[in-house]
Amino acid sequence: MKQKIIKYFILTLTLFLNLTLFLNLTLLTGCYDHFPLDQDISRTQNAFLNQDSVEVEFPELTKGKITLMTMVFTHCPDICPMTTHNMHLVEQKLPDEIKDDVKLVVISFDPNRDTPSVLKKYAELREYDFSRWSLLSGDDQNTKEVMLKFDVKTIFTDSTYSDDGELSYNIIHTDRMSLIDQNGRLRNNYKGSVVNLDEVVEDIKYLSK
Amino acid sequence: MNILLLTVLLTIFSNPSDKIQIIDPWMRVGAEGKATGLFFKIENNSDKADTLYKAEFDLAGKVEIHETYDAGNDMMGMREVGMIVIPAKSSFELKPGSYHIMLMKLKQDIKKGDEGEITLFFKQSGEINIKAQAKEMMIKKMKHKH
Repeated sequence: MKQKIIKYFILTLTLFLNLTLFLNLTLLTGCYDHFPLDQDISRTQNAFLNQDSVEVEFPELTKGKITLMTMVFTHCPDICPMTTHNMHLVEQKLPDEIKDDVKLVVISFDPNRDTPSVLKKYAELREYDFSRWSLLSGDDQNTKEVMLKFDVKTIFTDSTYSDDGELSYNIIHTDRMSLIDQNGRLRNNYKGSVVNLDEVVEDIKYLSK
Repeated sequence: MNILLLTVLLTIFSNPSDKIQIIDPWMRVGAEGKATGLFFKIENNSDKADTLYKAEFDLAGKVEIHETYDAGNDMMGMREVGMIVIPAKSSFELKPGSYHIMLMKLKQDIKKGDEGEITLFFKQSGEINIKAQAKEMMIKKMKHKH
């Protein structure tokens, strides 16, 4: 009986020591991370026009800042405005001392309709602060490259010509908001339209430490 | 307080049917030429099912009843639905990320605080006129338990 107790004690102690060793190694080597992603998206740059038709490059545009970004189309009546509204709410929830470290970027995956002036009106109607917000429109190639980086997919549907010859269509699209750190690394993706705002705020606070 | 009373009175008097009640109508802000969504809750207090099959809005070139749906793989889509059936003694909510009235080809910008008159067409209750105010998002009302 005594031998069994000793054997059990040694086994428990061994397990405890192994677990401690594993945790120490994990922390020391940096394998543990607060975020599920750590992908460098700054190796290549893409050219866009911002809401004032000024040429910019993304992600260079927000270098050194924490960036919350999404891809949308402004004809979307539901999911896209929900996502940008959530970004606006996150911005409002941030402590003042962190706000200046954060940039918000909206890139259109429907650049043929979403010209800079269209994007500007979209932002103005929602009272976005252009000192923090950039809304970008680019050519097909640059748009597709950014979509690939952020794994955003689109399916164009319901294409019809109205009586006045105008082409209208709808877009099924990935519902995503992404968090990029100050070093141009993608750290987290969220379901943009229904994201937990507090989770995003906490993630931004974590990056700003 | 007066504004609250006025809002309540407007809601009551804009809806001539006591069988169908339209609760908290609001529309999302939108730019001229673009589309936006109209949302509200329908309460059917009658003993018969009723069907919302059409809506009209003077400031929109086209109005349809739509549903936002999960297309899988984190993708979201939207499709037209011909009608919405509200069973007897029940309610149905048109809300963001779900069913909505799609106001397309807006004839002017719809800014925060703007108000629009929309006509809803029901098979049983006929035409119901409502007034909806433009917001970016519905603000959830606090529920108090006593």
